[in-house]
Amino acid sequence: MKALCETAVEAALAAGASYADARAVLTRRQHVVTKNGQVDDLSDGESEGIGVRVLVDGAWGFAGDRRLDEAGARDAAARATAFARAAPSRNGRQLAQIDAQQGEYRTTFERDPFDVPLSEKIDLCLRAEEGMRQPKIKVTQAMVRAQREEKVLVSSEGSSIEQVLVECGGGIDAYAAEGDQLQIRSYPSQHSGASGQGGWEYVESLGLDREAPRVGEQAVALLTADDCPPGRMTVVIDSEQMALQVHESVGHPTELDRVYGTEAAYAGTSFLKAGDLGSLRYGSDLMNITADSTTPGGLGTFGFDDEAVPARREAIVESGVLSGFLTSRETAAKLGAGHGGSMRAEGWSRMPLVRMTNLHLEPNEGTLEDLLADVDDGLFLETNKSWSIDDKRLNFQFGTQIAWEIKKGKLGRMLRDATYTGNTPVFWGSMDAVGGQESWVLYGLTNCGKGQPGQSAHVSHGAAPARFRDVQVGVKS
Amino acid sequence: MKTLELAERALKAAEGDEAEALVHAEHSGVARFASSEVHQPTLIDNKGVRLRIVRDGKVGSAYTNRVDDEGLAELARRAGEVADSARPDPLFPGLAPPADLAAVNGYDEETAGLGADDQARLAAAAIEGAGDFGLYGYFTSGVTELAVASTTGVRDHQAMTDAVCLCLAAVDGKSGWAVRTSSRVGDLTPAEPAEEAATKAARTGGAQQIEPGPYRAVLEPYAVADLLTWFAYDSFSGLGFIEERSFLNGRLGERAMDEKVSIRDDALDERGLPKAFDFEGVPKQQVQLVENGVLKGVVWDRETAAHAGDGVESTGHAPPDAWKYLGPQPFALSMDGGQAGSYDELAELVGDGIYVTRLHYLSIVQPREGILTGMTKDGTFRIRDGKVAEPLVNLRFTVALPDVLADVPGLTRDPMLVNQNELYDDRFPFAARVPGIATARFNITGTGSGPGL
Repeated sequence: MKALCETAVEAALAAGASYADARAVLTRRQHVVTKNGQVDDLSDGESEGIGVRVLVDGAWGFAGDRRLDEAGARDAAARATAFARAAPSRNGRQLAQIDAQQGEYRTTFERDPFDVPLSEKIDLCLRAEEGMRQPKIKVTQAMVRAQREEKVLVSSEGSSIEQVLVECGGGIDAYAAEGDQLQIRSYPSQHSGASGQGGWEYVESLGLDREAPRVGEQAVALLTADDCPPGRMTVVIDSEQMALQVHESVGHPTELDRVYGTEAAYAGTSFLKAGDLGSLRYGSDLMNITADSTTPGGLGTFGFDDEAVPARREAIVESGVLSGFLTSRETAAKLGAGHGGSMRAEGWSRMPLVRMTNLHLEPNEGTLEDLLADVDDGLFLETNKSWSIDDKRLNFQFGTQIAWEIKKGKLGRMLRDATYTGNTPVFWGSMDAVGGQESWVLYGLTNCGKGQPGQSAHVSHGAAPARFRDVQVGVKS
Repeated sequence: MKTLELAERALKAAEGDEAEALVHAEHSGVARFASSEVHQPTLIDNKGVRLRIVRDGKVGSAYTNRVDDEGLAELARRAGEVADSARPDPLFPGLAPPADLAAVNGYDEETAGLGADDQARLAAAAIEGAGDFGLYGYFTSGVTELAVASTTGVRDHQAMTDAVCLCLAAVDGKSGWAVRTSSRVGDLTPAEPAEEAATKAARTGGAQQIEPGPYRAVLEPYAVADLLTWFAYDSFSGLGFIEERSFLNGRLGERAMDEKVSIRDDALDERGLPKAFDFEGVPKQQVQLVENGVLKGVVWDRETAAHAGDGVESTGHAPPDAWKYLGPQPFALSMDGGQAGSYDELAELVGDGIYVTRLHYLSIVQPREGILTGMTKDGTFRIRDGKVAEPLVNLRFTVALPDVLADVPGLTRDPMLVNQNELYDDRFPFAARVPGIATARFNITGTGSGPGL
C-alpha cells in the first residue's frame, strides 16, 4: 500500500499539485446482532481503496477510488488535481508547518476480536438477551462489533506512516411495552453500546450478561414509574450522559473548522470565536476538558492523525476557561496557534475533517454518593435517550432513559421520560461537583456525524458523574 | 448492465442452498463550498457486493468492494463461514422470488455525464446567485446503480441519477436556506436556491426572542419533510410496528390527523427520485400511510412481513445495510398538497403565530407518541395579522407530530421535492415530496442563538 500511496503523490505533484497526500485504507468490520433469541444480523464486511488529497494553487481537491492498484492510485491523483483546478481558491490555503513523520502505530491487545469465533459472539449475545427477559419485555437485543483499519499515509512533505487500529464493542437493549407506554433501558449506552480500541477483552470487561437482569427489570419498572415533573432543580448526571454532554456542548463547538464556518451548511457553527481563546469563561472552576489522542483504549487514539501530526494530549478548557481548539493544519495556520492533530477521515473515500479524538471531562473528587449527599431535592439522570442541540451549540435538550428523585441526599422513586435543557456556558457554569477518578469511565461512540458527504467518526469520552444546580427539567411536547 | 454481471459473478462464487448478490455502485462528485468558495471537493468511485448465503436455514452476509475473481471467492468464503456460524431462523422467509418490475425512469444521461468541471461550474453558479451573502452548501451529482441476482431467479438492475444544490446564505446575524433536488440536472438552476436563500437571509437581521409556548405556525416544505422523515423512522416502519414503537400501533383505521392530510410512500412517482425495487430485489409498491387523516398502514420488507404474519407481505421497502437497524423505510414519502397558492396564503390562515423555514438536529423523544425535538433555523419569523413579520431567533420545538398534523388549516397546492439524503455511506438518493403547511399547534419549548454564522 505504501508504494501505491507514493505513486499517487508523485502523480499529483507531476500534475501540478503543490502539496499532496495519499491514504490507502483497508477496513474490515464484523457485526453480530441477536434479537428476541434469534440471530438478527450477522455480517462481515471489508472495504479498501485510496484517497488522494491535493492543493493546487491553494485550492483543495480530493478523489477516492476503490481500486488498490496503480491505475486506481494514478486516476485518483489525476481526478483530485482536476477538481482542484476546476474550483480555484481566492485566498489560498496555508498549512501549519510540521516535521516530516516516519512511523508506525498498532493497537495493542490480548485477543484479536477477529480471532474470536462467531459462535462465541452469538453465544454471548444470546446469553445476555436471556438475562433481560421479563414479562412485558417486547424486545431484547444484544450486539457485538469489531473493526480493524489498516492505513498508510504518504505525503509530499516526506511523511510516511503505517497504522493498524483495532476496536470492538457491544451493548444490550430491552424494550418494555404496555398500553400506550414504551420504555427502553440499555447498557452501557443506547447507541450501539460502547466500544473501545483494543482486543476482545474490552467486550468481556463490559459484563453484558452480568448487567442484563437489571436492564430488563428497570425497563419493566419504567412502565409504571411516575413521569418526570417539570421544574428547575439540581441534577446529578451519570458518567454515560456526561460523555454525551461533553461531546455535544464542548467537543463540537471547539472544532475550529466550525468556528471558521466551514460546517455551517450541515453540522453547524459555534458560539465560540477564535478570539475567545484564553479568555472565554466556559464553565465553573471545576470544568477541565482535555483532548487526548494517546488515551489507552480510546476510539480516537492513534500514532498520527490523517495529516501526519503526532498524537498528543492538550487542554481545551482549564479551570473553566477556553484554552484550546481542535484543529487541522489549515485551521491552526489560520489561527496562528497550534499545528493540527485532529484531522480524521472515515475510510478511504472521504476527505479528512477536524474531528474529536478522545475528549475528557477530567475527574475531581468524590463518589456518586458524595455528589448526591449535598442535594436536598433534585434528580439523578442516567443513560442517554434523546439528544438535540442548536447549530451554534448553545441551546441543548437531552432526554435520559431513567431518572431518580433525590431527596435529602438519597435516591428515591424512579421517574420516566426525563429531559433537561439549558444554555451551554450557563449550564457548565452551574457545575459545582465532579466525581473522582474512581467513578471516571471511558465511553466510545461510533456515530458522530459531520461533513458533506457525511462521515461517521469513532470517538471516546471519559467522564465521572457531575452535579449541576438550577437546571430546567421535564420539558413536555 | 455491468453491475448485474458482477452480481451474477458473485452469485456463481457462492455455495449454499440459496444465495443473493446485491451490487451497489457509486460514481459521484460533491463540490462543497463555504464562504463562497469550494473547500471540500470530493469525488467518489466505488462498487461493492453484498452476498447473502443460506445454508440449512441459516443466513450469513458479507460485503466487499474487491470485485476481481479472487475478491469474490474470498467474499463467498466469508459469507459461507458466517452462515455456518449462524442459528436457524424459523421465521426466515427465504429470498425474494423473481417479479415484474414497474418501468421507472430515474436515470438522466446529462446528469450521469457531469464531471468535476461541471460540478465546480454549477457550484460557482450558485455562489454567484447569492450576491453579497456568503454561500455555504454544495452542488452534487452522481450515478447510483443497484443490481440484485439470486438463486431464486431475481435479475434486477437499475441506474439512477440525482443532483442536489443546497444553499445556506449567511453572514453574521442573518441566514436563509433553500435546496433543490432532481434526478435530472436540467431541472436545476443553481442560482435559484441561492437567490431564495439570500432573499430569505436578508430579512432575518435583528432577530427577536419570543416566549416558549404553543403557537400556530407555517412550516415550509423543508421543515415538513424533516418532521415526516423522523416520524417515519419508527412510526411508518414495519419493524417499528411489530416492536410497538410506532404511533400507528393500536390506531390503524383511526382518524388521528386532519382530513386534509394524506401521506403515502411512492417510489414509482417520476416527480421524485424513482426506484423500481428495494435492497432485496422486491418490486416497489405505492403504500398509503395516512389517507384523509386516517392511519392506513406501514411499509414492510420480507423479514418484518414474515414476523408480522397474518398475510402481511413485503411492500418493497428493504433498506440498505446501513439502515437495517431501523427496518424497512419509506424512502419516497409523499404528502398531498392543498389549496393554498403560496406561503403568504398559509400565513393568512395562521393569523398570529410563527413562520418556520427549516429545522436542525432533530431527535426522537418518545417514538410511540411521535414526539420529536429540534431547532428551527435560517428563516424563523413571527406572523402577525396574517403577515410574515419580524425575524426570530432559532427556536427549540418539542412536538408530537400527530398533534402538528391534527389541525391543518391549509397546505400549499404544489408539493416540493426535498432532499433527505445526507450522503453518508454508499450513495442512495432519496427525497420527500411535500407541501408547505399551516398548523394550529407547534410547541416551542425554548430559544437558541440567532440566525447567521
